[in-house]
Amino acid sequence: MAVEVKLPRLGQGMEAGTIVRWLKSEGENVVKGDPLYELDTDKVTQEVEAEADGVLLKIVVSDGEVDVGTTVGVIGAEGEEVSLEPPEPQPAEPSEPKETPAEEAARRAVEGEREEPAEPSDRSSQGRAVEREPSAPRGAPAAAEARGRMKASPLARRIARERGIELASLRGTGPDGRIVAEDVERGAAPSRPAPAEAPAVGEVEVVELNSIRRTIARRLTEAWEAPVFQLTVTADASELVATREQTLALVAEGDVKPTVNDVLTRVVAAALVQHRAVNAHFVEGQIRRHSAAHVGIAVATPNGLVVPVIRDADRKTVREIASARADLVSRAREGKLQLQDLEDGTFTISNLGMYGIEQFVAVLNPPQVAILAVGAIADRSLVVDGELEVAPTMTMTLTCDHRAIDGSEGAEFLRTVKAFVEAPALAL
Amino acid sequence: MPEVTYREAVRDALTHALRTDERVFLMGEDIGEMGGSMGVTQGLLDEFGPKRIRNTPISEMAIVGTGIGSAMQGMRPVVEIMYEDFLTLSMEQLVNQAAKHRTMSGGQVSVPLTIRTQGGAGWSPGAQHAQQLEAWFVHVPGLKVVFASTPADVRGLLWASIQDENPVLFFEHRTLYPIKGEVPDELEPIPLGRARIHREGEDVTVVATGRLVHEALEAAEAAEQEGISVEVVDPRTLQPLDEETILESVRKTTRCVTAHEAVTRGGFGAELAAVVQHGAFDWLDAPIERVGAKFGPLPFAPALEQWVVPHAADVLDAVRRTVARA
Amino acid sequence: MATVEEKAGSGGRRVSEEVLKGFFREMLLIRRFEEKVEERFRAGELPGFLHVAIGQEAAATGVCAALERDDVIASTHRAHAHAIAKGTPVERIMAELYGKVEGCSRGYGGSMHLYDVAVGNLGANAVVAGGIPGIVGAALAFQMRGEPRVAVAFFGDGATNTGTFHESLNLAQLWKVPAVFSLENNGWAESTPARQQLPLPVDELAKRALAYGMKTIEADGQDVEAVYLAALAAREHAVAGKGPVLVHLRTHRLTGHYVGDPQVYRDKDELRRERETKDPIELLRARLELSESELETIDAAATAEVTAAVEFAKAGTDPPPEDALKYVYA
Repeated sequence: MAVEVKLPRLGQGMEAGTIVRWLKSEGENVVKGDPLYELDTDKVTQEVEAEADGVLLKIVVSDGEVDVGTTVGVIGAEGEEVSLEPPEPQPAEPSEPKETPAEEAARRAVEGEREEPAEPSDRSSQGRAVEREPSAPRGAPAAAEARGRMKASPLARRIARERGIELASLRGTGPDGRIVAEDVERGAAPSRPAPAEAPAVGEVEVVELNSIRRTIARRLTEAWEAPVFQLTVTADASELVATREQTLALVAEGDVKPTVNDVLTRVVAAALVQHRAVNAHFVEGQIRRHSAAHVGIAVATPNGLVVPVIRDADRKTVREIASARADLVSRAREGKLQLQDLEDGTFTISNLGMYGIEQFVAVLNPPQVAILAVGAIADRSLVVDGELEVAPTMTMTLTCDHRAIDGSEGAEFLRTVKAFVEAPALAL
Repeated sequence: MPEVTYREAVRDALTHALRTDERVFLMGEDIGEMGGSMGVTQGLLDEFGPKRIRNTPISEMAIVGTGIGSAMQGMRPVVEIMYEDFLTLSMEQLVNQAAKHRTMSGGQVSVPLTIRTQGGAGWSPGAQHAQQLEAWFVHVPGLKVVFASTPADVRGLLWASIQDENPVLFFEHRTLYPIKGEVPDELEPIPLGRARIHREGEDVTVVATGRLVHEALEAAEAAEQEGISVEVVDPRTLQPLDEETILESVRKTTRCVTAHEAVTRGGFGAELAAVVQHGAFDWLDAPIERVGAKFGPLPFAPALEQWVVPHAADVLDAVRRTVARA
Repeated sequence: MATVEEKAGSGGRRVSEEVLKGFFREMLLIRRFEEKVEERFRAGELPGFLHVAIGQEAAATGVCAALERDDVIASTHRAHAHAIAKGTPVERIMAELYGKVEGCSRGYGGSMHLYDVAVGNLGANAVVAGGIPGIVGAALAFQMRGEPRVAVAFFGDGATNTGTFHESLNLAQLWKVPAVFSLENNGWAESTPARQQLPLPVDELAKRALAYGMKTIEADGQDVEAVYLAALAAREHAVAGKGPVLVHLRTHRLTGHYVGDPQVYRDKDELRRERETKDPIELLRARLELSESELETIDAAATAEVTAAVEFAKAGTDPPPEDALKYVYA
């Protein structure tokens, strides 16, 4: 009866060994106890003895590394038939690499850090300002989070979470600016005086932040941290107004009527593609300059300020811009903006001219590196070639993020804007 | 209630055990006529004789092993290791044998052995006579570890340790021997695994062991003057640990300081901090502070020893850090 | 008081043929058990470390035969022979090696931690000399309670170099506890021969007990009758309150230190000579009046018992994982 010679387990922990050479050949007689082959284990090379008498009918593995228990030979009676089970296939290595602990921690950090859940694209009731940039690739998030991370004690975080208070709206009084519980408790009460409407006698109207305002609060608080400077120019708006009138004449019945602002949007977009330093984002310590000008228009809605974006404003005609603008504004006022309406803006124009504001400074709309605040067009006196004249003028203030833009870059852009405002044909 | 010293309280527990249970006997170096190098066993030889109060040669391995073997046969030996530094000489028997017999035998044997020892800095004993090694033994499954800080606690806990069916490392502190405290008229056993709240407070929990319990209480008094209300908790048994009492306290105060005389790095405070971080994470309003000796062998000169070892001022500083503002 | 070296067998005592046959049966059982254990280990069925006592059967059988049931022993890493000789059924030892609940330590100990308190086995020990102080303690307990019992520590020549050994003998002699220290001197501490670990001649190792003023008894560890008589004498001495005894048994380890040990450190010719001339079972067989068929019967019975033990073990129950911490604290 043939006996299979299997690689023995010669020590605790031994799982495989390497056959160096056989000391008997096929067809040779062996006696139990005879050295049969040399085996190299981790520790030593040794002779392995035959465990049966007979003829070495077959050498199955002549050399090389073999797992314990594998059949390496067969001993039996002379002339016996030998048939062996095919060797078992080795179990395959798992194909997908496992997450490293660091990656897992990063992933959890991103998932845990979302202070508001990721929104589905359909928003039913109210328009929402864009909450954050499309999420950074999985490998990077921990670093990103750490850099933008709010220092707050676990207790402070819990209280804030339970009460729906945005940590970003709080100032921390703990060491290193850490927000502690007391800060949250204090922060839950409003720190500014009540709004302008006189409350009923003896009553204080508390306006709770809705989600738009919370988001505005959070994002603009972030913006407040950027080192900014402002540049102001006053431009003669006569040609801007004239251009608008010309465009109006070309518009068909029922179409959207372009406004001066639509023309302004178009010329600003043209200036942006010439001065891409201003058409940029500051993200994670990087300046990202964009080639397309997606201009956001600040729109006041009953629920708060939203900034829908006119995409590729530099490649649209004034009429196309007007049409896009009208659609966005009406949807904004109805609370029907989609996420794609709010994404990807590279620059923002904010106009308070309709309120008679002559000039103001707008707060950056992060991660955009600049924002243009436009005041009312009003007749003012100008000095032209030494002569005093009256012309409709408009004052514009550019707020710039100094981390991304220097004074000269901002100034060059603003000079171009003024030039385009005063001669729109240059831009169209 | 009578007032006795910590030393007397230990002796009292031993006396009670020897009187009421003939299985109990003591082994140790110089515990006979001399009454022990710390004077704890004074008078016991006279009352109980040399068969039950056994002076031994300097053979920590054999003494502890003999304790193990006789405990396995149903005796209740209480072995004294003169300085806890010398536990190192008996580690093999403590760790490989005493802690593991019950598991390795599949529950056939138990080792009701008590090892009493003492340590700590004070009066310049030098680096090899002053260590605090209790954390090592908490890390060995199968051993129990007790560290009492007051006369009442040490008496009740030593009695309970001798009754315990498991090997117990019973740590005493050399500078606590002379302190006085009230004890109940009758010996009251204190179950292992129960912490004690020495002082209630609202603002920060100090979890302290051994000599640092007293330093913490002193610091708490000072903190009170500064308007900080400190709660002082003594776990008393390090293994098994009364996690619930500690966590409840931290959930109340939202801040935690651990304090022991042992070196901070890898000390029992590290385990406490991990337990508290995990069980009271959402209640923590500040990082957990650890007070312990600085990381070095204890130097000899008094000024150096003073500096290395923690005191009430260090506990107070830690308390202040937990409530600090920028 | 100076010790007196006694040679076993002096005083005219002899052991009957029947008793010797009983020894033979047990030693052969141990041998077949150890061989089977080696075989099953090579087949990959047994986890952990294994150390077999092939060649040292007489030391185990002879000493344990001299003991009463409520005498206690503590053994070493090479513990199967002692466990069998002290009275644990082979199937319970085999089940322990397979890690089953039916094992003598319920699967919690393994080969180096075989305990059977019911028959006085206080455990095998993986730490060299680790069990010796415990035996001093057990003996102390017997002494304090006035019980006519002895505690026996088995250990090898390697253990006599440890601090534990010296402290234990010192204390045992000081307090005159009823302990017997059974030194199975095979001249090897794993791969270290006597000349690399002992500053005195290996055959004179018992002199170490002289340092403690302890009585010693010498016997040829391959002669089971001599071992038995030595152990009897030692027990008598100890139980009479005269103090502990070191029994020095010169024996031979006819295998490697552990199963699978290729013994590269050992002279192959010398090993072969030892196997041919020092096998305690062969030596006993030569003295007994055993017919071929009697031999075959005994051998078959041993083999059958061992084979059945393997079946018993393989059919055993794995301990439930949730019970892993069941015995940490009492």
